[in-house]
Amino acid sequence: MRELDRYTPIVGKAEIAEIKHLAKNLRGIRVHHINSTKEGGGVAEILNRMVPLMQSLGINATWDTVDGNTRFFDVTKMFHNAMHGQEIKWKPEYADVLLETNLKNEAILNDPADVTVIHDPQPLPLVTFRDKKKRPFWLWRCHIDMSEADYHFWAALRKYVEEFDGSIFHMPNYTKGLGIPQYIVPPSIDPLSDKNKELTPTEINDTVNRLGIDPEKPYVLQVSRFDRFKDPVGVIKAFKMVQKWQDAQLVLAGGGAADDPEGAAVLEEVREVANNDPNIHILDLPPTSHFEINALQRGARVIVQKSLREGFGLVVTEAMWKGKPVVGGATGGITTQIIQNISGFLVHTIEGTAFHIRQLLANQGLAERLGTAAKEFARSNFLLPSHLKAWLLLLETKQHQNEKISFLK
Amino acid sequence: MAEPFRFFTETGLTIHTNFKADSLKSLLYGLKKVSGSSIFYHVHHALLRRHFATSDQMNDFARWVLVHLSQASLAERLSAVDPMGCKSVREAREQLIDIVKEYVGIGELFFRVSEGSEFHFLQMHSMVLPLKYKADDLESFYKGLRNASLGTFFYHLIEAPIRLGKQSNDFSEWLSHSLNEDDLADEIARLNPYVYNLWELKAEILQRVRRRLKTLHTS
Repeated sequence: MRELDRYTPIVGKAEIAEIKHLAKNLRGIRVHHINSTKEGGGVAEILNRMVPLMQSLGINATWDTVDGNTRFFDVTKMFHNAMHGQEIKWKPEYADVLLETNLKNEAILNDPADVTVIHDPQPLPLVTFRDKKKRPFWLWRCHIDMSEADYHFWAALRKYVEEFDGSIFHMPNYTKGLGIPQYIVPPSIDPLSDKNKELTPTEINDTVNRLGIDPEKPYVLQVSRFDRFKDPVGVIKAFKMVQKWQDAQLVLAGGGAADDPEGAAVLEEVREVANNDPNIHILDLPPTSHFEINALQRGARVIVQKSLREGFGLVVTEAMWKGKPVVGGATGGITTQIIQNISGFLVHTIEGTAFHIRQLLANQGLAERLGTAAKEFARSNFLLPSHLKAWLLLLETKQHQNEKISFLK
Repeated sequence: MAEPFRFFTETGLTIHTNFKADSLKSLLYGLKKVSGSSIFYHVHHALLRRHFATSDQMNDFARWVLVHLSQASLAERLSAVDPMGCKSVREAREQLIDIVKEYVGIGELFFRVSEGSEFHFLQMHSMVLPLKYKADDLESFYKGLRNASLGTFFYHLIEAPIRLGKQSNDFSEWLSHSLNEDDLADEIARLNPYVYNLWELKAEILQRVRRRLKTLHTS
């Protein structure tokens, strides 16, 4: 229990007591998570936190990965990209590779489990080998945005998905009109991780200083990859409008440009538009810079996420959790997180972005009001304990299928 | 001996209904066709999910109409649907349908939102948990309320009365029937949860119970 108790000061006694209560009802239940990799990527990161937390609550949680050869991973990469809407020519042999590799991994299902949780598309065909006595309940957790998935690739997966007892998506518009329950469970951030833990004013100041930013002058921040969908050029244009009224700095902190040709091209374009303005700081940081990102977010006066297209937008959650007012593009999960003029501002244009940045730089009271609401919204909905609670509730659905309201012990 | 008050708390899982709307016309269709649970989720349950937002853009329909369709006057009218003024989910549904129907009737041109901005009709699989403590007098009732999460307030003030079609909320019923505290029960019943956020509501209730306790102690 000790691990979960660390979150008590953050989410409160009542919330932790509720989680423990739910876990007590589920004590001893065998939950088997299966995905395709133990390292790297968001899924592995979540399971690395979630599985030990479940174990610490008396749930018999285990985690395995499917093994495959290079061909399998090439094909699953194609599935992944096609699910994201990339145009890839479909070949029926892709479905065979997926099925054959999963067949070779059938032994992964040897031990019985009350609940089998498959993450993402790669291990989906395992459901074909389901033994209803040994493994009565199957859930599919989809971590990716499939709203623009290629028809053929999705059709090859859908037949497996429909075999499950339930599916879980990050957001309503990721769902696929399935005949099985489609639960909506948003992703979460860990308030105790390097990226989100509390920092002292000295740590913030020193880091901001080290990165070449003047800690005395207010700055506006966007953290994102150098990607056109994040519209970094639009952010600079908006900031230039702000500069006519306010003496401030802009920080664009991103990464990934080194190994991504498109990212490098966008970074080049961004530098060109910035035109060596000493108040515009473009930081190409390595992917491990969690502490630096944390400090940058905590030191910022206003945070922008002017995406033109976005998944859930956990970077907005991170900013909200730090009590910062966010100006966000009205797209994807940003619209779920920002309530206009209550927990931030939603914008559609460069002009609108500039206007709200100006407003927030000038009006400290407004910035504080939005930031406080944003923090509370993140606290009640998008922190790791809420995510853990959602998982416990999902495990409960095994005993309470087809009910609208369930009274638990 | 008064019958004890048993505290519960509510939590749950959101489920997609497979209905979605990309225009006012399809919103109207959805309002007519979806389950009562979905209406409850978008009108009542929104209080628990975005409770700090007070009554502004409180229900999900109003918020979508404002954010994605930019129809401010319709959003304002939808926001004004008072969940506590409706005796049932059916009544709330009828009010929403009437408002949207009338608006669609007077408009000449209505937009469709782009893909990704549709309204998704959701519903809740609610899970209710009994809390460890119970109350058998006003003192222990106060203590229980103080320790309770917002889910407890949502369950006893909104979910249980609406589901069971009660005239009043669980707190007021118990105060009146078991403790003969009719005035206090009435004061709590008159609080409209939708004009406060849940913390404020909790504070308002605690303040009233505390005041009553003080009076009892001094008399």
